[in-house]
Amino acid sequence: MQTALAKAAALILSGDRELGNILLVTARTSLSSSLIALLLGVPLGIWLGACRFRGRQALVVLNRTLMGTPPVVCGLALYLLFSGVGPFGGLKLLFTAPIMVLAQVLLITPLVAGNLETCVSGAAPAVRETALGLGLGAGKTFLLLVNECVYPIFSTYLLAFARAIAEVGAVSMVGGAIAWKTNVMTTAIMQYTNQGNFSMGIALGIILMAVSLLVNAAVSLLQGRLSR
Amino acid sequence: MRIHACAKTYGGRTVLRFPGLTLAPGTICAVVGANGSGKSTLARLTAGAIRPDGDGPALESPCQVGYMPQKSFAFRLTVRQNLLLPGGDPARAEALMEALGLTSLAGRRADRLSGGETARMALARVLMRPWELLVLDEPTASMDMESAILAERLVEAYRRETGCAALLVTHDLQQARRMAEEALFLYNGQLWESGPAKQVLFAPERPETRKFLEFYGGERPSRD
Repeated sequence: MQTALAKAAALILSGDRELGNILLVTARTSLSSSLIALLLGVPLGIWLGACRFRGRQALVVLNRTLMGTPPVVCGLALYLLFSGVGPFGGLKLLFTAPIMVLAQVLLITPLVAGNLETCVSGAAPAVRETALGLGLGAGKTFLLLVNECVYPIFSTYLLAFARAIAEVGAVSMVGGAIAWKTNVMTTAIMQYTNQGNFSMGIALGIILMAVSLLVNAAVSLLQGRLSR
Repeated sequence: MRIHACAKTYGGRTVLRFPGLTLAPGTICAVVGANGSGKSTLARLTAGAIRPDGDGPALESPCQVGYMPQKSFAFRLTVRQNLLLPGGDPARAEALMEALGLTSLAGRRADRLSGGETARMALARVLMRPWELLVLDEPTASMDMESAILAERLVEAYRRETGCAALLVTHDLQQARRMAEEALFLYNGQLWESGPAKQVLFAPERPETRKFLEFYGGERPSRD
């Protein structure tokens, strides 16, 4: 463990270019996918939580099912769709960063929507009734509802980011873990472990945990500032 | 202003069967009755927060309805921002806050106020705009005596200023007697007695109303 820690410190301090690239690809895909999932999942979650319409319960059940989608199943589906013989093969997205982002978005969006749906279901009746009593329109009521759910949105974002940065099954299938191109922290750890280079794997794991800690700390700080 | 004859059923149980009501502008109508008699359901139907059984809204013609629900909700904004939500003059917001002793809390987050302070804020907020009909569901239930009196004066002044009609749901019989010209007594989801407040709240015809007044008013109605 000491060797691994020393190796992690040495790797960071040495400014290793491959490590830098792995970190950059990881950060780019995880941040992009978690933000896209937030943009899609928050309105969807609010809609499912606040509105009552025919078929809503079926959609809620479907979303809850998608929350448990195994990453490899998602990866396999995208692989088949975007491979040379698949309907979207012409887009030539397989083994690129964008399809890794797409895979993560598909996995994370139901989690974001599900979390928000649960939160909004609790807050929406009081917000809606109060807004109605003040003669507020639908747009303003929606914004007030988002404002009431700002803490859950932050915690949901953290959940989404954590899921994205730790994801390995789908990204390795559709990204291919190609060095300098689609290799992220999790796939690199797998590669080094398969090669028997355990200290390098542990070192990357420590860096991965540190990155996760930094993002969590930053979001919590922002959350704390907003709560004042 | 006419509230249609309407009913409301939840899970097969009819919680309110209301024969309808006409309210003249500038009139305050108190709605009294025990817990579960259908007072809040009537308030919510009138405000449009819930729809009656069957088609159409409870109100005969669309009008501007201001509504303060039984559980006052404070948005995660400052007290001043809450008051400005329905629109209106910022100077009016300051005047309303002063009238209800909220000036020192103007910059505080409204969702961190006490129950009584939240109720005062919610009342001030609904009075920011001129309404044709004001529906107040137990507006002073969580206020102390002094705040409740201030709130009553404010509603009186608002009524004089705007000429709006008001439906006042209350458990406070003295408040109903002080403020209302008309009164309804609901019993088990039915309108048991209605008419001028002087009659319903002081000299009711029905024994159930008299029993209620004795219990809540602490005094024997004149017909007894």
